[in-house]
Amino acid sequence: MARPDSDPVLKALNITKSFGALQVLHGVSLEINSGKTVSILGPSGSGKSTLLRCINWLERPNSGEIYLDGEPVGRHPNGELMSDRELAAIRARMGKVFQSFNLWPHFTVLENVIEAPVQVLGVPKAQAIEQAEQLLQKVGLQDKRDVYPYSLSGGQKQRVAIARALAMSPRVMLFDEPTSALDPELVGEVLAVMRDLTREGMTMLVVTHEMAFARDVSDEVIFMDQGEIVEQTTPDRFFSNPETRRAQQFLARYQ
Amino acid sequence: MTADGFQMLLEGAWITVWISLLAIALGVPLGLLFSLIRVSRLPVLSQIITLYVSVGRATPLITLVLFLFVALPAIGLDIDKYTASVLTLTLNTASFNTEIWRSTYLSFPKSQIEAAQAMGMTRGLYFRRIMLPQMFYTALPALLNEMTFLIKASPAIAVVGIVDLTRVTNRIASQTYEPLPPIIIAGVIYMLSIGSLVRLQRVLEDRRKRYASA
Repeated sequence: MARPDSDPVLKALNITKSFGALQVLHGVSLEINSGKTVSILGPSGSGKSTLLRCINWLERPNSGEIYLDGEPVGRHPNGELMSDRELAAIRARMGKVFQSFNLWPHFTVLENVIEAPVQVLGVPKAQAIEQAEQLLQKVGLQDKRDVYPYSLSGGQKQRVAIARALAMSPRVMLFDEPTSALDPELVGEVLAVMRDLTREGMTMLVVTHEMAFARDVSDEVIFMDQGEIVEQTTPDRFFSNPETRRAQQFLARYQ
Repeated sequence: MTADGFQMLLEGAWITVWISLLAIALGVPLGLLFSLIRVSRLPVLSQIITLYVSVGRATPLITLVLFLFVALPAIGLDIDKYTASVLTLTLNTASFNTEIWRSTYLSFPKSQIEAAQAMGMTRGLYFRRIMLPQMFYTALPALLNEMTFLIKASPAIAVVGIVDLTRVTNRIASQTYEPLPPIIIAGVIYMLSIGSLVRLQRVLEDRRKRYASA
């Protein structure tokens, strides 16, 4: 990570998105610098997840620009849409963790983790397995390498999903409410893995409802409401002294 | 029934089996190919497939085999009765298989596709690595069902002069004046053929169980 801190790893400019007549994002912009963790908070329906989906183009924004390490995502500078192949190449550099894990059920845990490195990056299988074993150890699941996802708990599935995303050595990790589908007692194990990642200097954009995580771990908090960014500040200031009425009301519900 | 009769029955059974198996072997991948063209919404091609499926499913086998056997030579394409039969059964079963594959494709979990896209997989890659291996097992019961229908409908090809397992029973009866024995034996052979397909389905479904909880 030789890049200077001033060069954002990820940059989104004026993203708008509508589903039919419903406008979900009203020109949202954000930047993340290398090694930073940014949490996106906001009530349901505020457009947080849609924003995250637009960033790796799982959802095509109506307008706006996205850059990964200064390179455009989804659309060329001349406005032309990227081909399937070009889009895949740039997505391969962003890790994504989904709310509902989205593991591939016909692959074992190990196969889930090595699939994309081997098939997309062309990493030799033996090397991919070695790396996958290290990652599984990191998320505490080395003993589960040969089981199929159905036999795992939600928390274990999500940790495999994190290992799977990390196996691509992504420039940035996008987390879309990674603990929202988990039983309360399983949330902690996933958050612990995410905390480790932050500590190791991974660049992370995290949509979450875990206020403690956002407060303790993030370098910056973005508060969204009704498709726009309402506040963007340090976690200390956001949690102790929210400026807008909307943020105050939102936080009141979590205290 | 004479030894000669048994010999004839076995020959008829062989005809039914190889023609049906060939049609199945061609019709299953062809149905997959057609279903992909349909869901891809390629202009013209996709409409042609839609039309083919409607016509293919609505045409009786006897009509289709007679049509091919009579119409193709009329436009200068020589076709023997075996080719016409295999073609008929293939076109018929492929039209049903197209719909089976299509519904399997459309019901594939979007979440798994998104995970594959997010990992940088191209469409062809995730179709081959993620979708197809699972679609195969999902489609299997419906495909096997269609295979059994195909075998049971195959006597229609006798109309162009093929002596299959059903037709041969008439032949034997016309010599022995005892229609019942060959018919019963033919029935048993049909049941055994279909039973082995069902058995195959069970073996394959056991293989799926290693990754499915149910």
